[in-house]
Amino acid sequence: MTTSVTKEKKLKGKKTASGIVIGKAVVIRGKSKSITPASIKINQVDGHKERFHHAQNTLTEELQFMAGELKDENTREIIETQGQIIRDPEIEKSVFDIIENKLLGVDFAVYQTFCTFIEQLKESGSELFRQRIVDLEDLRDRFIDEVCEQKNRKAIPKGTILITKEISPADLVSFYENGAAGLVMEKGGITAHAAIIAKSLGLPCIVNAERATKEVLNGQRVILDADSGSLILHPTDKTIRTYKKKMEAEKAVRPHTCEEVYETTDGVSFKLFANIEFEAEIDKVAKSRALGVGLLRTESLLFGKRMRNSFEDQLHFYEQILLGINGPVTIRLFDIGGDKNARRPHKEANPFLGWRGIRLLLDEYELLRNQLKAVLTVAGKYPGRVKILVPMVSVLKEVRQIKDEIHVVQQQLISSGVKVDKNVPVGLMVEVPSVALLAHQFAKEVDFLSIGSNDLTQYTLAVDRGNERIHDLFQHYHPAILKLIKLTAEGAKKAGVEVSVCGELAGDEIGAACLLGFGIKELSMVPSSLRKVNELLSSRSLEEFQAFSEEAVALASSDEVEQLFEVWKS
Amino acid sequence: MIKKKITIKNSAGLHARPSAVLVKLASKFKSDFYIHSYGYRVNGKSILGVMTLAAEHGAELELELDGPDEEEALKAIIEAIDDKFGMKEE
Repeated sequence: MTTSVTKEKKLKGKKTASGIVIGKAVVIRGKSKSITPASIKINQVDGHKERFHHAQNTLTEELQFMAGELKDENTREIIETQGQIIRDPEIEKSVFDIIENKLLGVDFAVYQTFCTFIEQLKESGSELFRQRIVDLEDLRDRFIDEVCEQKNRKAIPKGTILITKEISPADLVSFYENGAAGLVMEKGGITAHAAIIAKSLGLPCIVNAERATKEVLNGQRVILDADSGSLILHPTDKTIRTYKKKMEAEKAVRPHTCEEVYETTDGVSFKLFANIEFEAEIDKVAKSRALGVGLLRTESLLFGKRMRNSFEDQLHFYEQILLGINGPVTIRLFDIGGDKNARRPHKEANPFLGWRGIRLLLDEYELLRNQLKAVLTVAGKYPGRVKILVPMVSVLKEVRQIKDEIHVVQQQLISSGVKVDKNVPVGLMVEVPSVALLAHQFAKEVDFLSIGSNDLTQYTLAVDRGNERIHDLFQHYHPAILKLIKLTAEGAKKAGVEVSVCGELAGDEIGAACLLGFGIKELSMVPSSLRKVNELLSSRSLEEFQAFSEEAVALASSDEVEQLFEVWKS
Repeated sequence: MIKKKITIKNSAGLHARPSAVLVKLASKFKSDFYIHSYGYRVNGKSILGVMTLAAEHGAELELELDGPDEEEALKAIIEAIDDKFGMKEE
């Protein structure tokens, strides 16, 4: 018998999407900080040069899209300059020189080239250009991401477990479609965008798994046990057998189905919807028995390889969703900014407090009108099924402006003979405390309110939800949040409009119990959470939920709310 | 090939915006375009090249053009420099 040199080892992380999977690891070490010179063979030179041109084109397309109809001249100039840098002949010359003559990979060639120029700019001593160096570093990293992405996109074996520092939602979906079966991230809290998508796709996922990309080797067989938040390296045969048994047992439980009529024990009905972003999720929605889509995110149409921002592409996408799903679909207008696709012309010191959501849309008429045109056209084709949701509203003026815009685009469509749904409901996201506090005033202006609990939590508790160092402070059911949600529910009721919740809180047992208690009867969540939430909500009476939420909102901390729930539930 | 010495007239020098305008203009022509400055020679169609020059107000540059439309290109570039690249100076 040979003794194994490597012992079984466990890496801990935080569970975001449950499940167990055994498979080969693929480690993605994207970021530029660890770019090292890798030799290539002569017959690979053309391929690497090709990748450079491809990255150049993708980045240029992204910039052109961003430049669009920009009114702000400074921003437009910065974007133009970035375009010039991407197409700079000296960059290409230097990159090709490194690839051809030194026979090194394109990622290193780009890295080296940019670093040389950055050094030269530093030496040139001009203060003005020094300020540009950050931009150049940013551009360099984007370039490298782009050339690496193409490499990463190479087919991965089915059943692969992805090990990565962080990953963009679009990339994750590509990997999923290529057969990825699990995700381990070093960074990101449980509300990291990619983690939410993983949950929605039903991919077992853990985050905050420190050193994962360093400890795991490509091709190693690992076990991802997301249920217990761990990744097991070098599993022994015995461990593998144990897990295989567990997985079999899990499978046997699965066929359970949800009721399509959702009711509390005293017969009060509530509605459960799904949050989705990609067509790949349509099946999950049907399987979850959701009554429709409570939040369709659209940002992924705008970036990277999946960029489909033209009117026709958008129309196609929205229609696919409406065809694939029964019931209403709430389409949220582009919520760009913050942590989502933060490829922007200006480095903002506080992107989450900056130019994002409606603020950006109202400056970018072409982008906004193009999307409205597509959404309103689909709404006309499927009357009564489409709702429009406006992200990141903070002042009333924005609501009025967007309604005017919708009206203008509808008139244009009508005059060109397109059928529209004149009563298409328009609602706004309650994500900023100001809107929650004045919910009644805002509600009077719209057809519905939808509480985005993730951002509301972030803005109320002053906690960046992407920052893993402080993820403990990101507390969904902090009583302060609950109080704001209660206020919102009351405001909406007074104004006679519907209110729903489409953040993670809705897909969480404690959160859902509170929300129903506050009288919020429409909850939208990742499809995989529906069953669990329904089990809880249909097991009690409305009165019991009311009692729980009244008590919870009067507490002083998130921990107390959790304790109260344990007691209440038992 | 033609060469011509010029002086930068913008008060803030050849900073980001004028550099961008210069590169954009030069890239429209077929001819190669190089700028000589204090012993350095940079590609005038390269934004990073021009930026590393860090040419300040009053800097003397020598323009070098070589190609089928060199005369035309030189004329357009000199005009742009004389026009301070269309910048409004405060």
